[in-house]
Amino acid sequence: MLPEQQDILWTFLTLAYTGFAFFAFGNVVKHCRDREDVNTKLWGGIFGVLAIISFIETVQMFDLTQQEQITFFFKYQILTVFVILLSWGIFFKSQKIEDQSPPLIRAFFFWTTVSVLLAGYTNWLPQQRSDPPPKNVAVDLDMTMEEFVEMGRVIVFGAEQVAGSKSIGKGQCPLCHTFDPGDNIGRCPNLFGVQERAETRIKEDRYLNSPFAIGEADPATGVVKGKPDQVEAGYMRDGDTGTLTGEDYLRESLMCPSCYVVEGFGKDGDTKSPMPVISKPPISLSKVELNAVIAWLQSKDTPGEFANVTVPLPSADDAAPAEAAPAEGGGDDRVFVTGTESIDQMINTLGCPLCHTIPGVEGAAGMLGPILHEKTNALNRIKDPSYKGKATNAKEYVRESILNPGAYVVFNEEAGEPYPDGLMPTTFSQMLSVEALDKLVDFISETEAPPEG
Amino acid sequence: MLGKHTSKYAALSFGLILAFAVYLLPGFATDAFAKEAYAGQAFAEDAFAKEVQAQEAAADGEGEPEIEWSQDVFYKDWEGNPLKGPVSGHPAPELGESDYNNYEFAPSRMILWIANQQHLYFGSFVLAVPIFCMLIEFIGIRTKESDPIMSEKYDRLAHDLMKVSLTAYSWTAILGGILLFTFITLFPGFFKYMAGIFRPVMHVYALMFLAESGVLYVYYYGWDKMKDDAFLKWIHCSLSVLLNLIGTVLMYLANSWATFMQAPGGIDEQGRFLGNIWHVIHSTLWNPVGVHRILGNIVFGGGIVGAYAAYHYLTAKTEEERAHYDWVCYVAMFIAIFGLIPLPFAGYWLMKEVYAFRQQMGITLMGGIMAWLFIIQAVMIGLLFFGANSYLHNSMSRVKGSHRYMKYAKYMILLLIVCFTMWMTPHTIVMTPAELKVMGGAQHPIVGHFGVMSAKNTAVNLMITCTVLCFLLYQRSNKIIKVPWATVGNCWIAAIFVGAAINIIFLGVYGYFLPANQRVGLSVPQVTSTLTTLFAGTAINISMFKDSDSYGEITWGTQSKVGTYAIFLLAISFTWLMGLMGYIRSAVRLFWHVTEVVRDNSPDAYTLTIGEAGKMLTFNTLFVWTQFVVVFWIASLTAKKQAAKAPEGVPVPAQQQQ
Repeated sequence: MLPEQQDILWTFLTLAYTGFAFFAFGNVVKHCRDREDVNTKLWGGIFGVLAIISFIETVQMFDLTQQEQITFFFKYQILTVFVILLSWGIFFKSQKIEDQSPPLIRAFFFWTTVSVLLAGYTNWLPQQRSDPPPKNVAVDLDMTMEEFVEMGRVIVFGAEQVAGSKSIGKGQCPLCHTFDPGDNIGRCPNLFGVQERAETRIKEDRYLNSPFAIGEADPATGVVKGKPDQVEAGYMRDGDTGTLTGEDYLRESLMCPSCYVVEGFGKDGDTKSPMPVISKPPISLSKVELNAVIAWLQSKDTPGEFANVTVPLPSADDAAPAEAAPAEGGGDDRVFVTGTESIDQMINTLGCPLCHTIPGVEGAAGMLGPILHEKTNALNRIKDPSYKGKATNAKEYVRESILNPGAYVVFNEEAGEPYPDGLMPTTFSQMLSVEALDKLVDFISETEAPPEG
Repeated sequence: MLGKHTSKYAALSFGLILAFAVYLLPGFATDAFAKEAYAGQAFAEDAFAKEVQAQEAAADGEGEPEIEWSQDVFYKDWEGNPLKGPVSGHPAPELGESDYNNYEFAPSRMILWIANQQHLYFGSFVLAVPIFCMLIEFIGIRTKESDPIMSEKYDRLAHDLMKVSLTAYSWTAILGGILLFTFITLFPGFFKYMAGIFRPVMHVYALMFLAESGVLYVYYYGWDKMKDDAFLKWIHCSLSVLLNLIGTVLMYLANSWATFMQAPGGIDEQGRFLGNIWHVIHSTLWNPVGVHRILGNIVFGGGIVGAYAAYHYLTAKTEEERAHYDWVCYVAMFIAIFGLIPLPFAGYWLMKEVYAFRQQMGITLMGGIMAWLFIIQAVMIGLLFFGANSYLHNSMSRVKGSHRYMKYAKYMILLLIVCFTMWMTPHTIVMTPAELKVMGGAQHPIVGHFGVMSAKNTAVNLMITCTVLCFLLYQRSNKIIKVPWATVGNCWIAAIFVGAAINIIFLGVYGYFLPANQRVGLSVPQVTSTLTTLFAGTAINISMFKDSDSYGEITWGTQSKVGTYAIFLLAISFTWLMGLMGYIRSAVRLFWHVTEVVRDNSPDAYTLTIGEAGKMLTFNTLFVWTQFVVVFWIASLTAKKQAAKAPEGVPVPAQQQQ
């Protein structure tokens, strides 16, 4: 029942108790009429008043909401019932009536007492309501990798954790998997160190051949094993080169659990995994959610460090409905920098010099966007009253500007108007690994005008 | 045992075993043959042939294949690949706001729950009573020559039960109508989808109801006319078999809707029907749920009849009445406990199938959000065993000669308490961080060991074994064993029970040293030990009663009040537990109407807290018993009318005087 509604149990019981009050009244009247020496007016009056009180209480119960009903029931109704029972007993004793209460009433009280005690027991236990997971998680394009990883953690464990109990999120992973070293419930593999294992596993013979060879399709899901470039369109990694990586293995494990079954954890001679396909019902993670889980898996063993995360942050395309047609040209020709390149290479690959003048980078003399003197400018812009972003220092400002260029549009003092909004691409989150982004932010936040002269 | 002479044991045991065989065999046989062989091959081959023909026709240019083929969400072909079938229905709807209606006074889900549960309670009762009547009438026929008075008593009991059942039958139909209208009006979108798939099943169901009603009326109203002629009496008894068969088919058909919702088959991922209605009916949980419900019905029916008799025992005015209802209490409890003992094993089978369907569904039940409900179930089962043993102990005390065994009662109670404590120990409990720190982890360092399945299996098997032992002692409490092999027999019984206990405990301890996947396998030998005590122990015990002397007959009508209230406790526990398990089975779908196919998009798609669920269960229990009281009262009006027909002063026929 909803909090604003009446509680069905207490409503039922209040009706039943009023029924009992009138039964007791009728029973007393009957005994009084059978016997001449009984003070009918007195006893009839007492039980009549008690029945009316009980009736009024029942009427009152219909005006109360659930929580109020419980309080009222235990405060007043129970008291009235107790007084009726006591008076009834006194009546029988004082009049020396051997017949006493009929078995129906005794059975009724036995029944209600046992049943209500059972209900009480269930209310004494820890209470946890489980709401259905949201159908689609809103994609925030300003998301940092830390937030993205946190999103993955929530999918795994749920937003609220109850101490002493592993709470379970939309992904339902903790039902079977464990994540800490030495913790093994024996249902599915412990995922501690899965990031490193994923990288080595794809080179193992068993992975290459069991339960079927690379390049073959899993009959249940249709996923072609070991072929990241053939992953279902809606789940394919942006900017994938076709080379099998640990990230691809993790994605494959989620979308095709039977493509590889860890020894001792499968059925039919470890050829079939009991794990559900995470991209299908009932769990049905979207591409972004799936990537968030992978990002969490890649970083969970190194809290606060995201260097191992290779999965891209959500893009504008991810925010679009899943049914939307893929962007023209597909995603295969997209740029991606890993962070192992030199800063010049990175900046040139990303195309920054086309619009920006960047001190220290040869040939970076673009004029469409602001000149990047961020060591000094960034802090001034944060202090600008028109700044609405979240950054508090230069590095955060630069990171925000790269991932969400629209957060603050710089005013072009020479032209007397702001630089054009929307010109800068919003897809850098997919073009940069975490390491690359950090490297870029470190560099740009230190850029300053060259010394005059 | 049920009568006054030991010769009834064989007839009763034979009858019960026969009844179980009749009702369980179709379920097991269907599961073994139909699901694996028939579904796995015949349909697969048929579907494959059709698909190939269609492809060949297309390749030969005879036309484009008009039929779209899709993969079944559950059924597999002989190679383990998803079975294909022709798309023959619409995809499952994406339900929206307009697909749900509601009243202001209560959430639709709660109203549907109440309607459903009340119908199920009554349905369970009216399906169980004909089973009892069949057995009791059969025993009555068999004992007619050897003991005509007891035979008449059995016949009268069966007739009385049918009379109550007849009123309850109409009530069940009314509740079914309420349920149907509740479903249509509050969940129209979902009902439309279900009706689209189960259309023919629903019509067959309605027709079967007609057949059930016809046979029921002939069976009941023909009772007196077919009573005296031996041949007609056998025909009459055969009608009860027919009645039960139709009733079982009815229940299985209705079960198919629920089991489809929980673990669908015969449709593709989009929820489109793939043309084979048998696949939709015969989804993976159909058979275990069917068998579990048959046993559950017997237990529940026994509980209701027991409570009915116990109440009449308390209100009885004459010694004869008290003796009669005391005896009925015993018969009802005997049947209920006989159904209760195999019930956990049917439950194991059901859970095994749930795990086989989706492991995470099984874990949600046993280790996820539903896990606490299983702790409550454990408490309820503990209550049942306490109630059953308490009744047996109290009943035993009025049997002459029972003093020899009463001294063991306290040890059995002690064992039950220890096992019960172990049985209800949770694996982990929800705690505050401070509590967690103090305890050093989510599991208690000592008590935590009792929270795992090894300990629980051991505890419950010992509790069942203890109940069996208590029952055997009850059986022999007034007997002076005379067979020459009495000592050997006693040694065998002792060896069976001691051996079983040692085996159960040893396997329980051994389980701690095995990994989880191997540990699961230990439950089978543990259960086998328990069943051995039940079947072998009972068989040896009964065999030893041959030519036995008696300390004296059971003094019916002297049952203590504690024993009577123990029956009430059993009746409440059965009702509450039945509601609880029904809720667990249904709620494990979480936010799906049909698991993984039709999502529940109503505002009520959440999973209730345990407390909310507990209150609903208590309400449903009290509400259904209120209705039972009304139904019994209505049935009693007919009895009073008939009784009034016999004018006072008319001599009682000689046969009845006996």
